[in-house]
Amino acid sequence: MNMTSMIDVTFLLLVYFMVSTVLASPEDRLMPTIRTQKEAASGSDADFQPQIVDVMLFDGKPVYRLGQLDIRSATELTQRLSNLPTELGVFIRGGEGVSVGFTMAAVQAARDAGFDQVTYVPLD
Amino acid sequence: MRFSPHGKRDRRLIVELTSMVDIVFLLIIFFMVTSDFARDARAEVDLPRLQGEQSGDSEEAGLFINIDASGNIILSTSESPVTIEQLRARLAVMVREEFSPKVTVRADREASIVRFNEVILALDESGISSARIATEVPR
Repeated sequence: MNMTSMIDVTFLLLVYFMVSTVLASPEDRLMPTIRTQKEAASGSDADFQPQIVDVMLFDGKPVYRLGQLDIRSATELTQRLSNLPTELGVFIRGGEGVSVGFTMAAVQAARDAGFDQVTYVPLD
Repeated sequence: MRFSPHGKRDRRLIVELTSMVDIVFLLIIFFMVTSDFARDARAEVDLPRLQGEQSGDSEEAGLFINIDASGNIILSTSESPVTIEQLRARLAVMVREEFSPKVTVRADREASIVRFNEVILALDESGISSARIATEVPR
């Protein structure tokens, strides 16, 4: 049986898929609950005194503000959040001047600290 | 000394192709399966380098909203960027047509949070209360 043509076609297909394939980096996702400022302000009793992390600029540098603390890195934020009770959940509020990467690192820090209820509040 | 009966050796070379063809077909199948046919919806953005939820669930892709570093909103790499009003209109159509539309926001890590918040608020106004935020898993 003459297989030359079939092998030619097969190799062409192989080369096509090898060239057209892009080795993309693996992607995952974060899925915080989303609530607007209005909804967050008129929350139910269950939301009473939620723990809030404000992602903001302070002295021209992005910080995570947790209570009175200004935290510069996501690793430190994870450590601080790990010491808090996780039942109440945590609100992350992203404000002007910071990047998406820095803000989402706060959502990740809350997840890593063991919070199941992570809510993102987009500030206007 | 022994000679072959016809005076010369049989010099025909027999190449066994079966294993090679098997391997080539396996490679083709591999590249076909791993090819990202939904690439058109994913713009080139540097996603936040985070582990993500690591839930391992594979869900329907849904609509991809890409936000590049300059704040452009891209719904498809073959189309030009859309304005926030155009995005709202698109989301309104989606909500009318689908019961619970899935949305993934792919925002560049250097993009301003202001633009990201506008997109999130547009989702909320359209009645989409949950969105997946894409991250790049660090290697």
